[in-house]
Amino acid sequence: MTSLYLYPVWLRLWHWVNALLFLTLIASGVSMHYAGADWLMPFATARVVHNTAGILLTIGWIGFVVANARSENARHYRVRFRTLIGDLIAQTRYYMIGIFRLEPHPFHVTEAMKFNTLQQLSYLGVMYGLMPILLLSGWAFLYSVYLPETLFGLGSVWVVAMTHVVVSYLLALFLLVHIYIITTGETVFSNLRAMITGWHRESDPTRTETTAPTPRETP
Amino acid sequence: MNALRNRTARPGAQRHPDDPCPPPTTGRPGSTKTRLVRLGWSLVLWLCLFAFGASAEPAGDAGDEQLAEAAADRHACLRCHAMSSLAYRDPETSEIIDLSIDRDGLAHSVHGELACIDCHRRSYRRYPHPDRPAPGDMDCIGCHEGDDQNLSRGWVDIDAEFKRSVHAVSDSPKAAGFSCHSCHDPHRFRPAAVGEPLAQIVRNHNGVCLSCHKRLVSPSSTSHDWLPNRDAHWTSVRCVDCHTPVADFANHEILPAEKSEKNCVSCHSADPQLLARLYHFQSEEDIARRGLLAKAVFNEAYVVGMSKSPALDRLSLAIMGLMVLLLAAHGVGRYLARRANRRA
Repeated sequence: MTSLYLYPVWLRLWHWVNALLFLTLIASGVSMHYAGADWLMPFATARVVHNTAGILLTIGWIGFVVANARSENARHYRVRFRTLIGDLIAQTRYYMIGIFRLEPHPFHVTEAMKFNTLQQLSYLGVMYGLMPILLLSGWAFLYSVYLPETLFGLGSVWVVAMTHVVVSYLLALFLLVHIYIITTGETVFSNLRAMITGWHRESDPTRTETTAPTPRETP
Repeated sequence: MNALRNRTARPGAQRHPDDPCPPPTTGRPGSTKTRLVRLGWSLVLWLCLFAFGASAEPAGDAGDEQLAEAAADRHACLRCHAMSSLAYRDPETSEIIDLSIDRDGLAHSVHGELACIDCHRRSYRRYPHPDRPAPGDMDCIGCHEGDDQNLSRGWVDIDAEFKRSVHAVSDSPKAAGFSCHSCHDPHRFRPAAVGEPLAQIVRNHNGVCLSCHKRLVSPSSTSHDWLPNRDAHWTSVRCVDCHTPVADFANHEILPAEKSEKNCVSCHSADPQLLARLYHFQSEEDIARRGLLAKAVFNEAYVVGMSKSPALDRLSLAIMGLMVLLLAAHGVGRYLARRANRRA
């Protein structure tokens, strides 16, 4: 059994706060978008909840970007371009075929790299691509009076609205896949447990069970 | 220096401020000199005040005089016209013509500082008044033609729009003699300002239309039945938003019912023009009322449907539904594979 301390406290804290805010934003966002149905939050409540959670999400995102840049966690986000294509094919093949044949996972989690290539690309895309667009479009909504009347020949508020809604649908899609994919660890809950305790545990058939390395803070 | 200041200050300090007697003269040369200097300064001060006062007075006087004259004129007219029961029965139509003017409404209106005879010219100075106004009397454009700078549309445009409006071109006897005053009561009219609650602005606006089109809002009315959430629309959308051409700001070109906007999508998503205008207005108002930061939390400028695109929603929900099915199938596949493996 190997144990790796992959998720430091700040990262876990950020992750779960972010998750909570995400769910709040989805609930309040859906309540406003499909306003009128009985089972939704009242519009006036949803409005304030959505704005507040959005502001907190922005603060959290800035915190993540800063902490990630300043800590060693950033190394997990460095793309291994040399083996990118091969890794992508191997990983995709595993999820589509290998996983049903109970083949071993093509990617081995180490302290130097905790993400497989697919995971890494999707996290990069979400955290540094979709999230800033989502947050910016949210703030642009709030302060739309300071935007030009039109963007690309279309009413600017409409452009902002469509960007916000498309990106939020994409992120909801990411959340669905994310929640499912974490069940593909060694056991259904092993990845979830790792994000709670910080320790990635994995039985290692090639080696005899080793004692866990001294708990070293690997940021 | 301090000693000198103390000495010179003392005589004044000992005196009661209300004491009319001049301070006792002392034979000390220092205090006489100080008094002389003080006298000199006060003389200069008085001269300055006098000079400024003299130069400022004529202009102020003329403005004040004009206002006072206008006020006196209004007062004279309102002695009769402020009576709420002032009316007569038109001998031809037998209708009761209300001649009363709400004093407070007039005071708060955009014309509140004008003299009555500025608009009611001719011989309205005397009583009895002439039975109908002379041409050119009570003519909005006549006064307003020159002051376009504060308006999003010029008066000439407004005039042109009005001439195309259903109120102007209709053959209906009810629309006969329709003029600016039919909607804009010059004794009450006040343009909406940023900072006023939107609901209030909508109410005021629609109140103008409903003062004639009362039957539309009666409980038994079936008008606008096609409109989902009819009453919600009526409290938050101005009549003119749909009953004028959407594309331009031709607010005074009131369209006939059959040509009015009936396409929900003109406001709710695809063509954002109208909605964006409303959104911007509400945003400005939010910032004016709450300040820049609190607006982020309490932003009220949400317009339901701004981010709505039925096609996009359907597509996104379909993709998500498909994804859920796919993931569920994947999960079932994994479960079956494991079970088969355990059995083997």
